[in-house]
Amino acid sequence: VTTADQTQQDDDLTAVRLNVNGREVQVRVGPFESLADVLRNRLELTGTKIGCASGECGACTVILDGQAVPSCVTLAALADGKAVRTVEGLAEDGEPTPLQRSFLEAGAFQCGFCTAGMLMSATALLESNPRPTEEEIRRGLQGNICRCTGYVQIIQAVQEASVA
Amino acid sequence: MNAPVARAIGGRIPQLEGRDKIRGRAKYTHDIFLPNMLHGAILRSPHAAARIVRIDVSAALAMPGVVSVITARDFADEMYVNYGAGYSDRRPMALDKVRFYGEEVAAVAAETLEIAQAAIRAIRVDYEVERPALDVFQALEEGSNEIHPPRDQLPKNVAQQFDVSFGDVKEAFAKAALVVEGDFQHGIVWPICMETNAAVASYEKKDGTLQIWAGTQAPFFVRKELARVLPFDRQKIHVRSVVIGGGFGGKSQSPEQIAIAALLSIRSSRPVKIVLSRDEEYIAGKTDHAKYMSLRTAVDSEGNILGRTLKAIVDNGAYTHMGPVYTSAMRHRVANLYRVKSAAVSAKLVYTNRVPGGSYRGMGAPGIIWAIETQIDEIAEQLGLDPVEYRRRIATQPGDETLLGWKITSCGLDACLQRAAELIGWREKRGKLPKYRGIGVASMIHASGSVLYAEGNFSRIGLSVYPDGTLRLATQTADCGTGQNTLLAQILSDSLGVPMDCIDVLHMDTEESPDDLGSAASRVTFVTGNAAIDACRKLVAAVKEKLAHLWAVAPDAISYEAGRFLHPGQDEYATFAQVAQRFGTLKVEGYFEIDLKRPDPKTGYGNYAASYAFAAQTAEVEVDPETGHVRVLKIASVQDVGRVINRTALEGQTYGGIVQGMGMALGEEVLFQDGRPINRSLFNYRVPRIADTPEIVVDFVESEEEKGPFGAKAAGEPTINATVAAIANAVANATGVRFRKLPITPEMILEALRGKERRPLPNTKPLSRLRNVEIAAVRKAYPAMAPVMKALGKAVDAGRKPALPQKVVQAETVQEAVRLLREPGIKSQIIAGGTDVIPGIRQGVYAPAQLISLAKIASMRSIVQDGDVIRIGAGVTLTSLAQNDILRKHFPRLESAISQIATPIIRNRASIAGDLCQEKRCWFFRSATRCYRFAGPTCPCYAVLGENRHHSILGTGRCAAPCVSDMAPILAALDAELAFVGSSRVGKIAVEDLYVWAGETVLEADELITEISLPVPQERSAFHFEKYARWVGDFAEASAAVHIAGRRTRLGRVAISLGGVAPKPIRIRAAEELLTSRPLSSGLIEEAAKSVVYGALPMRDNAYKVELTVNVARRAIEAAVDML
Repeated sequence: VTTADQTQQDDDLTAVRLNVNGREVQVRVGPFESLADVLRNRLELTGTKIGCASGECGACTVILDGQAVPSCVTLAALADGKAVRTVEGLAEDGEPTPLQRSFLEAGAFQCGFCTAGMLMSATALLESNPRPTEEEIRRGLQGNICRCTGYVQIIQAVQEASVA
Repeated sequence: MNAPVARAIGGRIPQLEGRDKIRGRAKYTHDIFLPNMLHGAILRSPHAAARIVRIDVSAALAMPGVVSVITARDFADEMYVNYGAGYSDRRPMALDKVRFYGEEVAAVAAETLEIAQAAIRAIRVDYEVERPALDVFQALEEGSNEIHPPRDQLPKNVAQQFDVSFGDVKEAFAKAALVVEGDFQHGIVWPICMETNAAVASYEKKDGTLQIWAGTQAPFFVRKELARVLPFDRQKIHVRSVVIGGGFGGKSQSPEQIAIAALLSIRSSRPVKIVLSRDEEYIAGKTDHAKYMSLRTAVDSEGNILGRTLKAIVDNGAYTHMGPVYTSAMRHRVANLYRVKSAAVSAKLVYTNRVPGGSYRGMGAPGIIWAIETQIDEIAEQLGLDPVEYRRRIATQPGDETLLGWKITSCGLDACLQRAAELIGWREKRGKLPKYRGIGVASMIHASGSVLYAEGNFSRIGLSVYPDGTLRLATQTADCGTGQNTLLAQILSDSLGVPMDCIDVLHMDTEESPDDLGSAASRVTFVTGNAAIDACRKLVAAVKEKLAHLWAVAPDAISYEAGRFLHPGQDEYATFAQVAQRFGTLKVEGYFEIDLKRPDPKTGYGNYAASYAFAAQTAEVEVDPETGHVRVLKIASVQDVGRVINRTALEGQTYGGIVQGMGMALGEEVLFQDGRPINRSLFNYRVPRIADTPEIVVDFVESEEEKGPFGAKAAGEPTINATVAAIANAVANATGVRFRKLPITPEMILEALRGKERRPLPNTKPLSRLRNVEIAAVRKAYPAMAPVMKALGKAVDAGRKPALPQKVVQAETVQEAVRLLREPGIKSQIIAGGTDVIPGIRQGVYAPAQLISLAKIASMRSIVQDGDVIRIGAGVTLTSLAQNDILRKHFPRLESAISQIATPIIRNRASIAGDLCQEKRCWFFRSATRCYRFAGPTCPCYAVLGENRHHSILGTGRCAAPCVSDMAPILAALDAELAFVGSSRVGKIAVEDLYVWAGETVLEADELITEISLPVPQERSAFHFEKYARWVGDFAEASAAVHIAGRRTRLGRVAISLGGVAPKPIRIRAAEELLTSRPLSSGLIEEAAKSVVYGALPMRDNAYKVELTVNVARRAIEAAVDML
């Protein structure tokens, strides 16, 4: 069912180089296209979700040059030359990371719409702080809203991955 | 068939779709892209009530790229059925009249979303604006706007009313030893699914089919409604399977965007996709219902409930979706949870010109249960009984037939109460906690497998066996994330004794699966689960039938065991795979129906459900008497679920329901201005975030419901039902105050404590600011002025078109940036992190044609110490600022101050200068209200007369929006200076002087901030930033930054600045001078703290900020002094 969706006329596009999940890509983007839109509409990476388009919910979180950021308020045109990691790029050799596995086993998602963003925020957190306290996990994921889980199993999943 | 061997049931089985979800492979409606697909956009009403005089779509139709434009007249002359034909009152789009702000007026399908949105703006609609009925009381007034023509002899604007009684209420109240009574009210909450509503429709001209992909809880009702309103042959509408990003009731009613996408697709013969923006979701998505409840309870001297009366008014909004279920849900709670001897309920469902109520988890139960449980506590208190023991005594018991005719089979309420009390430490804590700490309890009842639907309450489920051995369940219910698909697979696994990995569940697909009423009312486990068990039985029988032929034996002689059919005589067996290979794919249909009569439609009397679920929750809270903040420390939940099917999923449902309930109790409420929801963003509508949620412990009582699948009962909604009440009762225990209005907000708590403890409101000495005389006079005149200004402002601003930037440029040097800013004819704006600029452009508060990025300028991103100053590049992110070693060394508390600003993902992007220059976050301004700040000086400031709890108390002029930058008060207290460069000048100014009174900066359009410099403290000093915000990282209600030097006995130098209370950060010189004037004492600190609000002139709802600001300032001073 999936084909790329070209939403912008080609004339006012500029070329942007991105490293997406380890792969160099060149993509033509509009002046006001967000990184989230480009990932989803031009690169067919729909794992990154858009929940508010205002940076308020965190569903679109990706790792940009090592930092978790809301890709819906990041302009693609200004991400030229940067490295982007998305949920699709987490698995290594097709194998889910310990964090992804613990999310699955702990029931750290229900509807799953916040999951990509939550995983990216938690991955960035664990990369900078491999053994976070519960308080650090809570503070670290404060930008990501989950309406389903009440967060309890998300905290458990990050804790389990951090000791794994 | 043999008795199932329990294996999957009761386990911790990961969600079936989980592997796709963790890899980002799950396909939601948002992710559906079809070849040749068009994008749809919806034109919505800008008025709460108006007549549509004329719609002119010609300009839109003429735009290149526009394929189809529709209005109400393009649909059949029909209304949605919704709750039932008797309540049908809504068309797919507004015809002749709009009844709420946001109602669908026209829609466009175009080649791109941008074109569709532009075309929407090109549609001209002439309205004749009417005076809206903005709340139920207005709607019931004599001269009010008639929202719908009256029907069934009902009074104007009344959609439904009933007056019923059970038993002799009069006598009960006459005999009562004690009567408690109270008026309770709560507003509307939004479900807030993380995935906004969306639909993709694809009409195939060739075969006349219509395919639908949409996050809906009920494909059955989508087909039924579409068939009617399009119209379309129901059999040719195929709803397809998608992953759904949350439901909570918000995706269970008549599907406006689905019908619109469908008609656009039919008209254009191409697929059409509509995705609601978060803003649209807020203004036109389905909500909960607001309620006003007068409750009276009569008890004898032992506390037995002799009678109870409820008079209720429910706000229906502009159309009827599930309002009648809300009124009946209230009736249900009045006399079923505890033993009640008589009861009377009178309820009115009233139309208003507000967003139509839909359904939300619990269907209004949390509100009525809160009222009832408040009174149960009050009775216990007045009779000197322990709240838990009292509830146990009056609790409904197994075998009871309640006053409303409910036949209670399994009931673990008593066990739930005991265990919930144990888990919170009831005995050790009740009455023994320190001041402002409290615990509370509440219980709830919920129907499990109710006869809610006009269609009855049935379920059909398909079960197929494929040659590879896969067993596939196909159901028209929809898993919104609850894990119901996994539960159904578990039921199948244990019923047939086959492993989980050979089971597949297809949900929603109406072509592959038989009719089912869908996922609502927590019915799937019970109703569809039973249908799945029936399907297993039928499958085994069908296979036996086939094998009997083949083996030439009697079907009964074949036995079935764990996936194998055994030959009676020989040592031979057949597996499901072999059977399907031999006979082809086999398919059976399971069926289950709740075999109950619908309760009496007039009185509601009758056994409403096949079984009933019960729960008790206990909560422990801590109230901060200085900010009014309620911190929920712990919630314990014990729920009678009959039987645990999937422990992980059930725990998840429980945690999630509880946290939603916490939001409902303490913060969530839709706020309106002239019928428009104003707090429509996830910053302004505060759903609980991870740092603000409590410890939650859950346990389950397995009462083994004999009618339930493997003994299970409903579980999804019961989790939220008791939470609001448990928290409210804990707050009452902590404060000694009962609150009659939800949500219980910090300002309500502060005000109540002030009354109870007779704390005087701090003296604001309003005349110490002379401008207050003028401001007070203007405010007095505002009720007369505002309507004129509103009209004027709308007229002046009518031509505004939202503009998106056409160009983004990366400046290589500061000089280049200045040159670009100065380019004539192009409105340019600096962008750094984009966290304010990008949403601001989408909200219409900024409209630059060109964005200029400074990211390539290295000096903008560095932090260096240069002798006595630390120079911080304007583009340094808040995260880099917090982690910088130079700053850590000189200002050890700066890191923790910055950690209170926004969220980590925002801090990773947001820059220091961007934080200083960010626009106001006032909810009128950010929701594009034509206010002074949004649309110019002819417009009013809506905060003066509207929802102004977050607004300024000090120094307001034309705009009451407070300073939301936290860096501003922090840097002002640290005596920071900022350097700026422009085409005609360069300069340095104190951070405090950056702003002028309405909050604008003194910088010209072609000037930009290059650097912020902080003087390195030359003497022993201490800095502290104290902030009160509703969630960690939220914008400050009040903050104080304090920087002091000297000795702890006598301060030498003091800087105090405030944020969140005035249009700009303000240094309070009088308090600074006071603190250095005398040796330090607690009295002096108190005096200084009190002085920070001199000159305050609060408005209707923000007087609490006066006290809050004093308390925050005191805490800041004390904390700084402690560090010296």
